[in-house]
Amino acid sequence: MMKKIFLLSVFAVFFLCNAASEQILRVVTSADFPPYEYHEGDKIVGIDIDILREVLRRGNCKMVVEDMKFDSIIAAVQTGKGDIAASAITITEDRKKMVDFSIPYITAKQVIIVPENSKVQGVSDLKGLRIGVQHGTTGDSYVTEKIGEPQRFSDASMAVAALNRNKLDVVVLDNDPAMVHVAKNPQLKILEKPLTFEEYAFAVPKGRQELLKMINDGLTGMHLDKTIVEIVDKYNERTQKSVDSAQEDAASGFKADFYTNFVKNERWRYLVDGFIVTISVAFSSVILGVLIGFVVAIIRSTADQTGKFKIADFVCRVYLTVIRGTPVVLQLLIIYFVVFGSVDVDKIMVAILAFGINSGAYVAEIIRSGIMSIDRGQMEAGRSLGLNYSQTMGMVILPQALKNVLPALGNEFIVLLKETSVCGFIALQDLTKGGDIIRSQTYNAFQPLIAVALVYLVMVVIFSKLLEILEKRLKKNE
Amino acid sequence: MNDSIILEARDLVKDFPALRAVDNVSLSVSKGESVFIVGPSGSGKSTFLRCLNMLEIPTSGKVLFHGKCVSMRKINRYRGKVGMVFQHFNLFPHLTILDNITLAPVQTGLLSHRQAKKEAHELLERIGLADKAKAYPMQLSGGQKQRVAIVRACAMHPEVLLFDEPTSALDPEMVGEVQSLMKELAKEGMTMLVVTHEIGFAAEVADRMVFMDRGAIMETGAPEVLMNSSNQRIRDFFNKVL
Repeated sequence: MMKKIFLLSVFAVFFLCNAASEQILRVVTSADFPPYEYHEGDKIVGIDIDILREVLRRGNCKMVVEDMKFDSIIAAVQTGKGDIAASAITITEDRKKMVDFSIPYITAKQVIIVPENSKVQGVSDLKGLRIGVQHGTTGDSYVTEKIGEPQRFSDASMAVAALNRNKLDVVVLDNDPAMVHVAKNPQLKILEKPLTFEEYAFAVPKGRQELLKMINDGLTGMHLDKTIVEIVDKYNERTQKSVDSAQEDAASGFKADFYTNFVKNERWRYLVDGFIVTISVAFSSVILGVLIGFVVAIIRSTADQTGKFKIADFVCRVYLTVIRGTPVVLQLLIIYFVVFGSVDVDKIMVAILAFGINSGAYVAEIIRSGIMSIDRGQMEAGRSLGLNYSQTMGMVILPQALKNVLPALGNEFIVLLKETSVCGFIALQDLTKGGDIIRSQTYNAFQPLIAVALVYLVMVVIFSKLLEILEKRLKKNE
Repeated sequence: MNDSIILEARDLVKDFPALRAVDNVSLSVSKGESVFIVGPSGSGKSTFLRCLNMLEIPTSGKVLFHGKCVSMRKINRYRGKVGMVFQHFNLFPHLTILDNITLAPVQTGLLSHRQAKKEAHELLERIGLADKAKAYPMQLSGGQKQRVAIVRACAMHPEVLLFDEPTSALDPEMVGEVQSLMKELAKEGMTMLVVTHEIGFAAEVADRMVFMDRGAIMETGAPEVLMNSSNQRIRDFFNKVL
């Protein structure tokens, strides 16, 4: 009997992996958590990634890794956006309701970081203090449940920066990253007694029995032949190295920091690549937005003026209300996880679509205000000459309206350019995300933040200048 | 009915909320005729004129062009044949004078681009503004703007021209140039329907004058007849404005 089941499952695994001629599984991770997962050059590496790669190799599968915010990871697996989540995920009852977990592959601990001179001795002193955590981590849920509302940061180095500036009393972090942070900031220390012990496991969508079986078999084998220990040791060496180099950095000044943040390992590339993504998303979506805005504005003002297009006008009103009434981050997440929940679409496309649809609503109202600003005698003059409505609209009203609203449209583009900074929520590596990645590697919050801000500022200044020139040139025609 | 009647309004009514602006007006205009509509402010003259080319949709009644009822379905072709000149000129500020004139004939397919350009130059030549072809409306004086607006309407080869207080927005010294252009057009046999406050000009050019008050036509006749009307209200009006 046992043999039969075993054979069946072997067959199932074989089928799963080979039927589609070497299946490629999509792995989601939040690569801001060294040594478990982080960016190195243009690759994502780390303990979790190496372990999973070996598991999949043993199961004859390949993987592609996608980086996203940690708080999106469970949702990504739940909706089937990813096949496996490998992101130092602790098994919790809440998460078990949404995804299935493999057997644990590692035991880690959450520790408490405090300033050197702090009076905090252990868990019992935490009540009532300002506690920083990384949002969505087990440290977050432990503190929330057992101690009180923490302050949740999107990445660890921000929490540490807040602690350094006396905005927090303690930070709860995973042990390994905590060691590097403390090495980098000699004025901080880790309390001896950890907050919790926890077990990390891979998460898969509910009901994927064969996949889960393959992972568990792989992990069991790797526990037995000590492969997991080897991988962890390899990374512990690296952690020790970054602890050492962090200690060196801590003693050095601005120049060395600059070198670490931007020059070392070609980290400036994150900013350049991110800049390209940001610019392409912003430009493409502003074009889409203008197209949508045009159509909506014309439908709306035609309906206002002639009483036609009643239904289309209603649809446009709903569109304007919904889009202008909800934050763009939510629209982005909804389009990625719900609208394209079960389809694999290029994330740049998703972003362009989301920001284009969002911007379209604002552009529509800008253009409509431009149309309304044109004297109604212009429409009458056009119509009295025998031009039809669309001819008059296209050749008389819109050219004047657009000229009037050009400054407002330029402003909309500037707003949009900066709004794209939330692209990281769907794991698109834009400029802001590029800064996040550098921060997660260098444990340094200040310089990457300022650098990213400067790049945005320069972009906006250049664009404003171009707009000014364009406006002046258009004015000459009068 | 006269065969040469081009444009006819039959029992035209236009209601605005809480106001009947045009009250059962019937009027016909024959080919080559200049009809001037006068009357106190708010008497519905302009609204009536605007009803004639459907810039205001009449509440009831009919407009007939060559004896055929004007419908909204063929409105664009009709409007091409019945030009309109506005009090505030309504030139297109983003287009050159030349493009202002050629836009409609080219877009409606009446003339080729080349032909429209040629005719526009002739029209500008005629009103002495040939050198302004490449200028923009902002660079023209009020009188020049209104004359361009008139030839813009003429570029569509209209059979009738409607003038809605064409000199009311002009400085006094510019009224003359616009009036002499209108006079010339009338002489050449253009059929014109003019709403104006310039009684002297009306008396000089009009074949027929129409007096409107409170949305209705009170009296119609040759200028000298109307100006010597026995109706007390009409006499009061002329005494006041002359």
